[in-house]
Amino acid sequence: MKRIGLPVVLVALWWAASAGSTSFFWPPLPAIVAAVPSTWTGDFWLHDVVPSVVRLLIGFFLALFLGVAAGVALGTFRTVFFMAEPVLEFFRALPPPVLIPIIALVAGYTGWTAKVVTITLGCLWPVLLNTIEGVRSVDEVARETARSYHIAPLKVIVPSAGPRIATGARQALSVGVILMVISELFGANRGLGAAVVQFQRGFAVPQMWTGIILLGLLGVALSGLFQLVERHTLAWYHGWRRAEREG
Amino acid sequence: MARRLVALFATLTLAVGACGDSGTTASGQTKLTIGVIPIVDVAPIYLGVQKGFFTEQKLEVKLETAQGGAAIVPGVVAGQYQFGFSNTVSLLLANAQGLPLKAVANGVASTGAEGKDFGAVIVKKDSPITSAKDLAGKRVAVNTLRNINTTTVSSVVRKAGGDPSTITYVELPFPDIVSAVAKGDVDAGQVVEPFLTIAAGQGDKQITSNYAGTAPGLTVGMYFTSTKFAQENAAAVAGFTTAMNKSLEYASAHPDEARAVLTTYTKIDPAVQQKMVLPKWPSAVDKASVQVLADLATQDGVLTKQPDLTALLP
Repeated sequence: MKRIGLPVVLVALWWAASAGSTSFFWPPLPAIVAAVPSTWTGDFWLHDVVPSVVRLLIGFFLALFLGVAAGVALGTFRTVFFMAEPVLEFFRALPPPVLIPIIALVAGYTGWTAKVVTITLGCLWPVLLNTIEGVRSVDEVARETARSYHIAPLKVIVPSAGPRIATGARQALSVGVILMVISELFGANRGLGAAVVQFQRGFAVPQMWTGIILLGLLGVALSGLFQLVERHTLAWYHGWRRAEREG
Repeated sequence: MARRLVALFATLTLAVGACGDSGTTASGQTKLTIGVIPIVDVAPIYLGVQKGFFTEQKLEVKLETAQGGAAIVPGVVAGQYQFGFSNTVSLLLANAQGLPLKAVANGVASTGAEGKDFGAVIVKKDSPITSAKDLAGKRVAVNTLRNINTTTVSSVVRKAGGDPSTITYVELPFPDIVSAVAKGDVDAGQVVEPFLTIAAGQGDKQITSNYAGTAPGLTVGMYFTSTKFAQENAAAVAGFTTAMNKSLEYASAHPDEARAVLTTYTKIDPAVQQKMVLPKWPSAVDKASVQVLADLATQDGVLTKQPDLTALLP
């Protein structure tokens, strides 16, 4: 209940503050709500929202897979990390939006590939860097013990780096939502981000606001889903933390 | 692309309340800020400022460049700009949505000559597409979806006997359209000068002049202000219209000077600058062609209701 309270207050505030607004670009909230049924149609969900979310998820999971794989390798072998660090810092500093025209040259201007690559490139860094840190901080004793008992090193490394990987993945998810929108500003004709921009350019302002609200709701839904998954897979970690606090 | 994001934010922030830049200087000149797009279309206003046509009307003009009409319209409504330049369909869209705008001078028009206009659809040298009709069922790149370029391309395809509803339009910035056509990512692309000359230099073929093919003297863009500013500053508006018309006539009579002024506000290759096709700059709006655009945009579903042309046009 406590979590519902603030959103309710904010919506009420928005409702009150925008009531009677005559500004074309800040329509009253009821006008925005009234535009929802005619905007969020079946066609809109099927051809704008779903493809965008699917691209986001493909990009996110690709980044998760590549980031964890490369992160474990770089975190385990010190020399490799030492050699790769300047290169990693260089590429990390490049914002994916400026790379879009270059990505397009390789992956095509239209279609899904360039958009998924853009999302993956952005999501990769938080996962990769957190995984490296997580792997490097694996307890030396645990590592040695695993070696003595001939336990595959990955079985020790991945779980103990898990909380850091989860942190990286959570950051990646929010970066992914941003890049989902940005990737559709170039060479797209459909998609949630493309729809918002087209509403804006067509001066369909209430419709534009419904798109912005939907983007926010998508962020909330994804982060809720993420928490569920994380609580389940890292149950041991949360249990241990609780025990630490209480003990 | 990133600029488009900026434009989106501009819409939001300008709406909050930008402060006007209009005022009167000590020498009795009215200060105006005008939002323009850094393209060949607005060469006359740069030339007019240079020649002092605006100072003659007691107007001290500052030109500010913006990404496109969609960013300039909110700027004019919010009072950041007193006047702005926008393409005709964006103005029709704004008018149909109830934004109180008033066109005060003509902007730019098609040359009306097929194959010799400042905007056209291009394809690769070896493309099987040879006419507008062949565009049906193809992927065509435009710089803005659901706007003047989709409306006019659909119109010429329909006139040639093709079904424009089967075209898949894809949005790309003009420079990228040329590369996407070359790479085969899209089957064709609609570009304007100087990209048309650049594409021709790469061996691309022009297959149809979408502006000239829609209406011979098609009014492609206009200068406008907000209805509120027009009501409260009748003298400044009359002065702007006079100076603007004089600039349009001067640019039409002195194409070499219009070409030369381009280097002051664009980064254009001198060879392309000499070769490119200039648009027409008549001082009168071709009202019939604006009606044609309104009807086409309504037919395509870009406009959901007929705009009020008597309120919009000068």
